[in-house]
Amino acid sequence: MNVRNPLALISACLLAACSAGPTPPAAALAPGLQAVSLRFAAQVNGQPFACGQRYTGIGSTRSTITPSDYRFYVSEVHLIDAAGRAVPVALAQDGAWQLDNLALLDFENGSGPCRNGTTATNTTVRGSVPQGTYTGVRFTLGVPFARNHGDPTTAPSPLNLTAMFWNWQGGYKFVKFDTATRGQTATTAAPDPQGGGNASGFSVHLGSTVCAAPSRTSAPSACQNPNRVTVQFDRFDASSQVVVADIGAVLAGSNVDVNAPNTSPGCMSFLNDADCPPVMGALGLAYGGVAAPGPQRLFSVR
Amino acid sequence: MTQLHRLAASGALAVASVALLAGAADSWRWPLPDWVPPPAVPADNPMTADKIELGRHLFYDTRLSHDGRMACATCHEQARAFTDGKAVATGVTGQVGTRSAMGLANVAYLPVLTWQNPQLTSLEVQALIPLFGEHPVEMGLAGREQALFELLKADPTYRRLFARAFPDAARRGEAALFSLSTLTRALASFQRSLLSFDSPYDRYRYGGRADAVSASARRGEDLFFGEKLECYHCHGGLNFTDNLKHARTPFAETGFHNTGLYNVDGRGAYPAAAPGIVEFTGETPDAGRFRTPSLRNVAVTAPYMHDGSIATLPEVLRTHYARAGRSVSLGQGVNPLRSEFIAGFQITEAEIADVVAFLESLTDERFLRNPTHGDPWPPPHAVAR
Repeated sequence: MNVRNPLALISACLLAACSAGPTPPAAALAPGLQAVSLRFAAQVNGQPFACGQRYTGIGSTRSTITPSDYRFYVSEVHLIDAAGRAVPVALAQDGAWQLDNLALLDFENGSGPCRNGTTATNTTVRGSVPQGTYTGVRFTLGVPFARNHGDPTTAPSPLNLTAMFWNWQGGYKFVKFDTATRGQTATTAAPDPQGGGNASGFSVHLGSTVCAAPSRTSAPSACQNPNRVTVQFDRFDASSQVVVADIGAVLAGSNVDVNAPNTSPGCMSFLNDADCPPVMGALGLAYGGVAAPGPQRLFSVR
Repeated sequence: MTQLHRLAASGALAVASVALLAGAADSWRWPLPDWVPPPAVPADNPMTADKIELGRHLFYDTRLSHDGRMACATCHEQARAFTDGKAVATGVTGQVGTRSAMGLANVAYLPVLTWQNPQLTSLEVQALIPLFGEHPVEMGLAGREQALFELLKADPTYRRLFARAFPDAARRGEAALFSLSTLTRALASFQRSLLSFDSPYDRYRYGGRADAVSASARRGEDLFFGEKLECYHCHGGLNFTDNLKHARTPFAETGFHNTGLYNVDGRGAYPAAAPGIVEFTGETPDAGRFRTPSLRNVAVTAPYMHDGSIATLPEVLRTHYARAGRSVSLGQGVNPLRSEFIAGFQITEAEIADVVAFLESLTDERFLRNPTHGDPWPPPHAVAR
């Protein structure tokens, strides 16, 4: 290949990475490795997620919602072998969606009320593992601590998307789900005439909070509330099954038609927000000194 | 030598001389009086005149917002020492913030930024919050950075300014030149250029001009630095704040204090919307602790306190500091977590007038009108006020 135009190469790679669905990198695999393509599907109460679609029966008031964003980071992906050993999946470094051991899954396509999003979507995590028989999967919802507190102005993709910045707290939104609801068509203002808007109605933004530092002005060394969720399915076949992320299950206990006064819209992981206990509980996270009521309910397999 | 080669050679010569000129223009010197130490600047963002000029254009450009109506300068007006005269700001979606826009005079000397975020130590990163933040939405650009870069690329003024400010990035291509990295570095450089050390008090105290301030201001100075009012413990030093970092400090000083403005639960807490640095540290004694603001130009930065809840300087003294915290005036009782220096004091109206005269002597009129800090755009890009 005559590499006259490196730009053409780069755009070719980006396009390949942007195409949805499994793209087995088999050609590049070293001997003894097998390709892994972990497929994700976004849903709202059992229906496929789509920008601008109306979904009924949401939350404690059985509200109707119209989502405007749905993205999340997963990391530390492992397959589990027959002996129960967790084997890390080496992610393909595609320069777009995957970096080190983290990946951004992006279900919005920038259309309709998702206009602050990107047209490109990404619904799979791609990588490789040593050849073998695997019967389960494990991953973390969130950006690993080591990658979460760097300089976002110079971070590589997919840590350079301003929509996923969590600037005030430092780090990234692990989950960004925004939606208008029957009771809250917008946060505080009239609907955006351009058809979009930022966080509006009832948002679910997950991220680390109370990140303590050795001194008040140094970078955090740990977070009191990391708010990362470890997810494991003991019976999972990546070749035939899909990981489903149904936000309806996270909203099931919430009244999405109202917002607790003087708090962020919906639950943005901040302390002392009365909208957060049902959301954080459904994510399998402790909140406000109350232990998690049970395992996470966002993810299931199908 | 062919015609083409000669052309190329002269082009190379021209490029070389431009580079030399640019190098000379970029040997930045701080326009500071001798007694003022220069600020410390991040190693990856040295000051240059070209970056400052680009940052100034960005700072005053309303196109850096979701609806094209809000610039940095909307909440940071030069004539008000880069504050906005409002208690709290309203973002492009109408969402109202919970803290007051802070002044930017001498912001280059601050080791930590904003009222309430002890982990925010760089102006470059701070710029992301108003631009892209979602709680509250301020300029509303979350997710729209590509559209913003396209806009900048399409503007001939910005093409010229970015290329001059970031020649290395320009050589790496457009994606590097029009990026979050260059955008935030230029905005930070402009803000670091906002230096205010030419108030009447500076001329009196450091310039040897005894008549630069009034007799009332000198009496106010005595009160301010005295043990009755105790103001100077926190509002001391170069910028009248105990937060200081510059080229000659071996380590940064920081100060966060609870002044007893509120006491909503009887145990020292402030209203949840702006709880103090406890939001980050999670430690109860940090409730109500905010970074000490500079008092330079304070007379033009009303209303006061982190939430703009006190309208005038006499009121700040009368109903807040003299009462051991405004929580007492509010009937919430004295705040148990307040700074040990907030003890309350007896003060006469004449003494209040003297302290205010001293604070007014910290107003640097030239800073408020310095054209190099002003709006560089002709209409229609000028910030609508």
